[in-house]
Amino acid sequence: MAEPATIRLAVGDRVVYPNQGLCKVTSIESKEIAGQKLSFVSLLREEDGARVMVPEAKVVSIGVRKVANGDEVEKVLAFLKSDSDKASLDWKARARTNVERMATGGLLGLAEVVKGLQVLSELRPLPTKERELYNDARHLLVAEIAASLSILDADAEDTVDAILFPVGKERPKRTAEEFRAIAGAEDDELGLDGDLMGLEGEEPQEEEQQAEEPAEEASEEEGEEAPKGKKEKAPKAAKAAAPAAEAKKSILSDVDVTLPQASPLAEEPVKRKRGRPPKPKPEGPPPEPKKRGRPPKVKVEASAAAAPEEPKKRGRPPKVKK
Amino acid sequence: MIRLATFDELDPKLVKDLCKILYQAFAVGAEHSGTVAPPAGMNEPWDAHKLLADAPKVSAFQDDKVLYVTLRKLLPRKLLTGEVPTFGLSQYNGQRAIVSFAHVKNPAENLKQCARYALQELGHTWGLHHCLDPRCAMYPHWTPSYAAGDSQFCVFCRETSEQKIRLAKS
Repeated sequence: MAEPATIRLAVGDRVVYPNQGLCKVTSIESKEIAGQKLSFVSLLREEDGARVMVPEAKVVSIGVRKVANGDEVEKVLAFLKSDSDKASLDWKARARTNVERMATGGLLGLAEVVKGLQVLSELRPLPTKERELYNDARHLLVAEIAASLSILDADAEDTVDAILFPVGKERPKRTAEEFRAIAGAEDDELGLDGDLMGLEGEEPQEEEQQAEEPAEEASEEEGEEAPKGKKEKAPKAAKAAAPAAEAKKSILSDVDVTLPQASPLAEEPVKRKRGRPPKPKPEGPPPEPKKRGRPPKVKVEASAAAAPEEPKKRGRPPKVKK
Repeated sequence: MIRLATFDELDPKLVKDLCKILYQAFAVGAEHSGTVAPPAGMNEPWDAHKLLADAPKVSAFQDDKVLYVTLRKLLPRKLLTGEVPTFGLSQYNGQRAIVSFAHVKNPAENLKQCARYALQELGHTWGLHHCLDPRCAMYPHWTPSYAAGDSQFCVFCRETSEQKIRLAKS
């Protein structure tokens, strides 16, 4: 959805300030600051009456937008009904996406955050930060839907929750497999294959270099069929790992479709080793293990032991009498 | 302060125990402010919106919360996404809330269940939203397991409510 270059605001308009919620335009005034005449929009946050002044030229770049209309709300509700969105299992990617959605995603972005974290919570309890994010997103979503449809917040929340928590039904339990399927696809797109991450260190590098050429060819062939968006996303590194990724995909997803029955891959799935590759063992006899701790004291010879030195006198030497 | 106003004659022990649980949950004093008459022209099942708007005033300070308790049924609400059963309604970040114990069998003996519904509606008046934790009183009340739960909040909701109450006091 293309954002308008400017939005026209008038006193009394209700707008949404990203991450802050519903605001009311209280005044539009020009002020002279450092010799420059600037027009400022004063906003009053409806929830707690906090005031903020925004330069009119920056209203759009900040992300201030008008309250969603009925059609947009219906789209959001339709999105919430769909069983499409699964959050990434990678918390960093998830956090990055969610923050972006909250700031610039509009009402649909809020719904995406709510839905994504809601579905994730069906797999495992949310960590505190994400629980807070979920609460914030839900709060903003409910407030905007209530403002848009002119209904009570309670009704707006129940409108959303009638979808997320169906009446008379318990929430389904999700399995990690559902998420992994998506995470796996994302990994393939990002080219984070085992080879690239150094997970399969047993294979020599020369073989990889040799495999690079056919891999490029294969990826070019694929590129004709694959959608453009995916092609753009895939980095060059993914091309190098294409055969391995293809093999993995075929094993994970559609063995029956893509591989013939007699294929060795179909019979014996390749087990991916996880973690750091083992260190190569050195040839020859193993070196003696180092002794730990303080080295033993050198024994004094018997003759020296027989005539021990006089013990040193401690303290200040006596004064010489004059 | 939480003020309980009843539309029907309730067992005094139930009201007293309910006040005690509310006090424990929110760490805010709770007391019974007497029985009030429902707005004129109400037919059972009562319309929760009308009841919330027209319920008689109860003497209370600005930051007090008023919980109206009834044994009458409330009309299910028709929303954009379907019909949802109504066991209560509240003004978010507002002062008033309504809770009905009509669906609770023998409320005097099922104090926990009654308190759970009351907690949710009062939680909304402090700005709490529905929770993801099925054990929490803020979990949506139309789920089958809700009635069997304890009358308490999850850690997140408890901390949020404490924070909101602290802010309201200051």
